[in-house]
Amino acid sequence: MKQVHRSYYVISLLIWLLAPMTSFSQDENNTEQDTIIYKQKYGLRLGVDISKPVRSFLEEDFTGLEISGDYRLTKRIYLAGELGTEERTTTTDYLDVTAKGSYFKAGFDYNFYRNWLDMENMIYGGFRVGVSSFSQTLNSYTIYNTDQYYEDPFTITEPQEFNGLSAIWAELIIGMKAEVINNFYIGINAQLKGRITEDQPENFGNLYIPGFNKVFDSGRFGIGFGYNISYLIPIYKKDKKVAVDKVQE
Amino acid sequence: MKQIITYKILLIVLIIISTWSCERDDICSDATPTTPHLIIRFYDVTAPEEFKQVRQLTVRGFDENGNELLDIITRTNTDSIVLPLRFEGENISTLSRFILEKDSDFTEDDDDTTESNIDIINVNYVPEFQYVSRACGYKSIFNDLSVTVEPDTGNWILSSQIINTTVDNETSAQVILRH
Repeated sequence: MKQVHRSYYVISLLIWLLAPMTSFSQDENNTEQDTIIYKQKYGLRLGVDISKPVRSFLEEDFTGLEISGDYRLTKRIYLAGELGTEERTTTTDYLDVTAKGSYFKAGFDYNFYRNWLDMENMIYGGFRVGVSSFSQTLNSYTIYNTDQYYEDPFTITEPQEFNGLSAIWAELIIGMKAEVINNFYIGINAQLKGRITEDQPENFGNLYIPGFNKVFDSGRFGIGFGYNISYLIPIYKKDKKVAVDKVQE
Repeated sequence: MKQIITYKILLIVLIIISTWSCERDDICSDATPTTPHLIIRFYDVTAPEEFKQVRQLTVRGFDENGNELLDIITRTNTDSIVLPLRFEGENISTLSRFILEKDSDFTEDDDDTTESNIDIINVNYVPEFQYVSRACGYKSIFNDLSVTVEPDTGNWILSSQIINTTVDNETSAQVILRH
């Protein structure tokens, strides 16, 4: 059920993000048009996900860092990627597991947003392929037993480590980036992930994959959110031609 | 424009917060097979293919120090019982003992000529811990199952037979007792 609810969110989020496209499509009319040229910056934008250091500080069971980068290829298309490292302890009633590792994601972003004038904000959709290399340590576990006839549940506290695990997934990403000061952007994004392959540890499962995030029992889908601050290093400029209506004389 | 962006950021934050709350319900479903019970069926010793009910059966287990625990079933006419197995660790040969008291109502009536019949069975096995899922964690299954009936002066259980030496499900009986 919760998966269904989540997909509602994602769909409504998509519709809501795409909505501005229609509102900006202009009516065809016969007025004469003129063009204004704006210079647009092309370059490498580097950033960090600020939610991860904040969570590292606030949450005892999480430490992580992610740097992101994108490079503008055309007016709308950006080459994009993220590089990160995470350590996360998952504790349930029956399991206590620490996943630790690093990940790399690469793909493209497509800017749907038609900027006014010389603004360079983004409302974008993108695609990534992610690879994670990680280990899992089973700190302790309690045997699940519905029958409590013999006193306390049985718990094993001898840690077990599962090394050399890896996973590959594909990711759809939607988000926005807004230039708040010159060349300085804040952004927010949501990611829907689908696992392609993963190493299953022997007699155990992956509860959390760095970069992929929480692994659900119900399927191979996962979700993630990012809150970025980034800085654009301009490399060159390109003209952007905008058609404007000529004032009737 | 700035205002629109502000609204959108606010909305995204709202959506994210509302999604977060859905992630907490990792509950192990009842339908998932977890640590199984031992299933014993009672057969008729004179007609080996037929179930035979045990009259007024009471079953009790013992704790690790050999003290009697509460009744698992009390004074029930039944041809099958479901027993929890004790475990102290993986790959450790473990013994669970059970009292099977037939005609247990006779201990409480006023007739001195009738009395209940207590037999004790010893169940030996080796637990193995298997991963189930995120929500359920690990379960224990039981290998190398064997059952013996402690001999006394008047056993009502006449023979025992292992059908399956591995207890890893609750769909069929692993042990047959004949009486």
